[in-house]
Amino acid sequence: MAVLNKKSKVSDEIPSSSMADIAFLLLIFFLVTTVFPKDKGLAIVLPEPNEDEVDINPKNLMFFLIQPGGVIQVKRGESEQIQTITPDRVEGVWRGDFADNENLIAVVQTHPEAAYRYMIDVLDGLQSAGADKISLQLQEGG
Amino acid sequence: MAIKGGGFSRKSSASDKIPDSSLADIAFLLLIFFMVTTVFRTDKEQDIIWPQAEATEKIDEKRDDILNIWLTQGGEVFINDQPLTMNQVRPIVAPLYSASDRRLVVSIRSDRDVPYRLVDEMQEQLKAAGVVRVVFATELEQRMTRARR
Repeated sequence: MAVLNKKSKVSDEIPSSSMADIAFLLLIFFLVTTVFPKDKGLAIVLPEPNEDEVDINPKNLMFFLIQPGGVIQVKRGESEQIQTITPDRVEGVWRGDFADNENLIAVVQTHPEAAYRYMIDVLDGLQSAGADKISLQLQEGG
Repeated sequence: MAIKGGGFSRKSSASDKIPDSSLADIAFLLLIFFMVTTVFRTDKEQDIIWPQAEATEKIDEKRDDILNIWLTQGGEVFINDQPLTMNQVRPIVAPLYSASDRRLVVSIRSDRDVPYRLVDEMQEQLKAAGVVRVVFATELEQRMTRARR
């Protein structure tokens, strides 16, 4: 009987002193593995080098002319009428016209000296509106 | 009767050893720290002001399949830290594109105030190299900042 009562000297508790270390370890692991990727932007698909030119009915074209100072002019198809808009209206203008004509193609013609960001503003507006047929061009005679 | 040991022999119950049971943890911690912070650098970030766009999307491509081309405000072109002229873009990108099995996505990281003719020249170079998938790298713009502009 006396033999059975003898307690073992080995502790029956799980050692928890290194719990903090484990926690820090996990913390640091996640801190350093969380990367904020900078790989983001506006994706476009360029035409293939040898792609044939296709004749498009001018009625299905909508021109966005970007002038050096950032002025955006909208010209519809063959119409000579030019409408000047601000960058934040590109999305609404496109949505309005696209609702009437689903074959509409956006032609972004940027002046050679216009800042890149103005083109991005227009492209942003068009992509926000869900436009997928976009042509990027350089304004001729600039 | 003299006190045993002159009163100096009583031992303190506190251990005089530095606890070393967590040494392994510290070692692993350092090991993991260095393992995860060691990054094989691809290219240095050039000094540009990013254009902003609301429609900014993440590029769902493997890191290896993305090629960054930098275009600084001064009109300098950089690929993998190498300063280049515009005409050198096509001969450099074309072999990279075919080596990637046509999976390569080119990210144009241009300063927002660069004249558009340079960006257009870049597109022409990429087109000539056969690249079709291009991303204009932008920062995500919040609606609030746009309203203020």
